[in-house]
Amino acid sequence: MRRITLIMREEMAECKLPIEAEAICPETMSKTIDLSFFVGNEKKKITEVFDIRVDGEAAGPATTEIILVGDCRRVKRVGEYMTAGKIIIEGDIGMHCGDFMTGGEIEIMGHAGDWLGREMLGGKIVCHGNAANYCGSGYRGGRKGMRGGEILVEGSVGDYCAECLFGGTVRVKGNAGIHAGANMKGGHLIIEGDAVMPCGDMFAGEADIFGTVTDFLATFREKGVVSVEGHTLTEFEGDLAHRNAKGILRVGKYIRI
Amino acid sequence: MTDYIIKNACVYDPANNVAGEIRDIFVVDGKIAEEPSANAEVIDAGGCLTLPGGIDSHTHICGTKVNFGRYMSPEDMRAGRAPRKNGMRAVSGYSIPTTYGNSYRYAHMGYTTLTEGAMAPLEARHTHEEFRHTPLQDGLVLTLFDGDWEVMRAIANGDVKRAAGLIAWRLNAVKGYGVKLTNPLGAEMWSWGKNVECIRKPIPNFNLSPVEFITGMIEANEMLGLPHSIHLHCNNLGKPGNYTCTIGTMGLVPDLNEKRQTAYLTHVQFHSYGGSGWSDFCSKSEPVANMVNRRPQVTIDMGQVMFGRTTTMTADGPMEFNLYRLHQDKWSNHDVEMETASGVIPVMYRRKNLVNSIMWAIGLELALLVENPWQCLLTTDNPNGAPFVKYPEIIGLLMSKEYRDKEFATVHKSTGKRTCLAALDRELGFEEIAVMTRAGQARALGLDQFGKGHLGVGADADIAVYPIRPDRIDPSKQYAEIIRGFAQTKFTMKGGVLVSRDDVILADDLNRTFWCFPKVPAAYEMSRDPELISVFEKYYTIRMENYPVDEKYYIKRSMKIETETAL
Repeated sequence: MRRITLIMREEMAECKLPIEAEAICPETMSKTIDLSFFVGNEKKKITEVFDIRVDGEAAGPATTEIILVGDCRRVKRVGEYMTAGKIIIEGDIGMHCGDFMTGGEIEIMGHAGDWLGREMLGGKIVCHGNAANYCGSGYRGGRKGMRGGEILVEGSVGDYCAECLFGGTVRVKGNAGIHAGANMKGGHLIIEGDAVMPCGDMFAGEADIFGTVTDFLATFREKGVVSVEGHTLTEFEGDLAHRNAKGILRVGKYIRI
Repeated sequence: MTDYIIKNACVYDPANNVAGEIRDIFVVDGKIAEEPSANAEVIDAGGCLTLPGGIDSHTHICGTKVNFGRYMSPEDMRAGRAPRKNGMRAVSGYSIPTTYGNSYRYAHMGYTTLTEGAMAPLEARHTHEEFRHTPLQDGLVLTLFDGDWEVMRAIANGDVKRAAGLIAWRLNAVKGYGVKLTNPLGAEMWSWGKNVECIRKPIPNFNLSPVEFITGMIEANEMLGLPHSIHLHCNNLGKPGNYTCTIGTMGLVPDLNEKRQTAYLTHVQFHSYGGSGWSDFCSKSEPVANMVNRRPQVTIDMGQVMFGRTTTMTADGPMEFNLYRLHQDKWSNHDVEMETASGVIPVMYRRKNLVNSIMWAIGLELALLVENPWQCLLTTDNPNGAPFVKYPEIIGLLMSKEYRDKEFATVHKSTGKRTCLAALDRELGFEEIAVMTRAGQARALGLDQFGKGHLGVGADADIAVYPIRPDRIDPSKQYAEIIRGFAQTKFTMKGGVLVSRDDVILADDLNRTFWCFPKVPAAYEMSRDPELISVFEKYYTIRMENYPVDEKYYIKRSMKIETETAL
C-alpha cells in the first residue's frame, strides 16, 4: 500500500491561477511522483505546488492512495481517467474532479466544484459537502453524460445535476438547483431534498425527488402513487415533449409551472 | 520570391493530355514556366505522383451555417485538436473544424482552391471574414438565389434580362462567384411550412414553377457570361423516389456553352433515390448516370456519404426539418429574409443502417457509372456526406474493386439487393482521379482560364506531390498505400510558395478570393432601379447602401473577374 500525501504549499495560496492537475491520479502516481502540470499557462513541477510525503510501496494503482491537503479549490481534473485506487481530498476541490473515471473511489471532505464526475463510467465518488453545477453530467453538446458508477453528495448540488445521465446512480441528500436530470437517457437520480424544474426532455431512466418540486413541467403524465424508501411519491411518465419518452419521475410535493 | 525546379516528377495533367510522364516542372515567379530561372531551388520529387493543386468544387467551410454548426455542436471540437506549433495555429474540430483546421487539412491533402457551395447574400460579410482566415487556399463563393423574391418575380414575368441584371448587381454587391440554386423555390415554400413537390407545380403567390425558374436562371447565367454555370441542388433532396425529379431537371438543361457544362448538379448521390418510402428505399444511380452520359451539358458531383459522425448543413430548410424528425436530435433552422433559408443538424451514418449503407453505395455507383470523369467530380458535399478528410478513402474505393468488396462486406447485409455496386468492376486510374479532383473542377468552375487545375506553361504553380510512385504501385491491391498517400502530400505548393512539406505547414496568408463583376449596360444596372430600392426600403432589415460588401475591408486579395454580358 502506498500513501501519497500532497500538501498545498503556502506560497501557492497567493496564486489565483487554475492548476491543471490531471496527473494527480493513482495510475500516474503509482509509477512516479516526478510530475509536472500547468499552472495558468506555465508548466511547473509538482514539488513547486505541493509538499509531498510518500509512505510505503505500491504494487499498482489499486493499492495507491492519494491524500490532498490544503486549499485545492483551484486544482482541476484530479482523478481524471482514474481506474482504481483511492483519492481523499481533505478540503474543497476544483472543477472536473473524477472526469471519465472508470473505477476506484474519490472521497471529498469539503465541497466540490463544477462538473464533479462528469461523463464517469464507473467507480464511486462521495462528497461530504456540496457539489456545484453539472454534477454527474455530460459535457457541452455531448449526448451521453455519466454512464456508470455512483456519486453520493451529502450536501446540495447546483444546476444541471445529472444532465444527460445515461447510467449509474447519482444521489443527493440535499437540494438540487434548476434542471436536474435534464435530457436523462438512463440511470437513476435520487434527490432527497427539493428540486426546480427537473427532468426536462427526459427520454428514459428513473428520477426520485423526495422533497418539493417547483416549476414542475406540464409535459409529464401522472401514473399513480408509489412508496419509495418510506416516502409517498407521485409517479409520472415523460417527458412527453419527446416522442416515445419512457422516463419515470417520482416526486413528493409538486407545484406546477 | 523563390523559384523552383521540381525534378523527376511523375506528372498527370489531364487538361494538357499528360499522363504519367516523368518530367521537370519549372516554377518562375509563382507560375509554371518553360525555362527555369538561374537561381532556382531544386526539389526532387523522386518519381512521385504530381498533380495540379486540388480544387474542391462544392464544400461548406465558411459562412453563417458552418458557424452555426460550430455553435450547435461544441462536442465536435473535442476531436481533431492540435496545439500551436511551428507557426501553425491551434486547431480543433472534426466535421466543422476551425477555419485554420480546414485550411491546414486541405493543404495536407494537396488542395489549393476551395468553393464555398452556398452563401446567403445577406450573410456575405461573415463568409468573407472566414475566408480571410482560411490562409492557404484561394476561395470562391457561390451565392444563393433560390428564394430571391426580385429574381423570382422577374422570371415569373418572363423578363430574364431583368433577372440577369439583378443577379449581376447582387454578385457584385456580395462578391460572389456564381449562382447557386438550392432546392429552387423551396425556401419560399418553407416560409409557409411547406416544400415544393417536384419541378412542375407552380408555387402560390409567384405563379412560378421550379422548371420555369431553373430554365430562366440558366438563360440569365449564360447572358452574364459567368465563368461557372448555374450550380444546382435539385428539388426533393433526400426523399425516396426523388430520382425522377433529378432526371427531369437534367432534361431541362439546354447546351448553351461550348467551354463547359450548362448546369452543374451538386451532390447527386442525395438525389438518386428510388422507392416510395424508407421501407423500399433503393438506388437509382443507373438511370441518373445514364442521363448524365447522354447529356454532355450536365456535370455532377458525387456527394459521397462515408460512415461516421458529421454535420449536415444546407440552405434546404424543409429537408433538414425532415431529417430532424427522423433523428430527433439537435436542429437549427434559419430564415434569411427575402433571400433563402437554412438548416443544420448533426448526423451519424452507420454501416448497420440499411438506408445509410445504400446512400454510401449510390455515391460510388455514380462515379463508376458515369463514363466521362469530367462529368462526375469527387466531393462529399463536405461536411454533409462526410468531412473532406475522407476523400483519400473515396479515392481508394474508386481505384480498387478489392477494397470496395471488402467494405461492402461490412455494410448492412440487404444493401446488395437494393444497389448494383457489387456488380461494378470498373477501377479508376490516376488520370481519372486527377480529373475528378482538380482538372474537372477547374473546367466546371471556369477556373482553367485563370490558370487553375493544370500544369501548362503560364498556369498558377499550384502543385501537389503525393508520396506514391505510380510505376511501382498497383492501386487495386495496394489501396492502403493509396489512401495514406492521398491523405498527406510530400509537399504542396500554392502560387509558387511551398505551403506544406510532409506534416508541417510552412506558409501563411496566401489566400485570394475570386469574384465576378458582369459588366451590364446602364439599362440593367440595378443600383438605381426604383423597384429594388423600394424593396430594400420596405422589407429589408438593412439599408441598400449598407448592403454591398466592401472589397477593401472584407476581401484579402481580390481577384475581380469582369465578364462581358449579352444584355
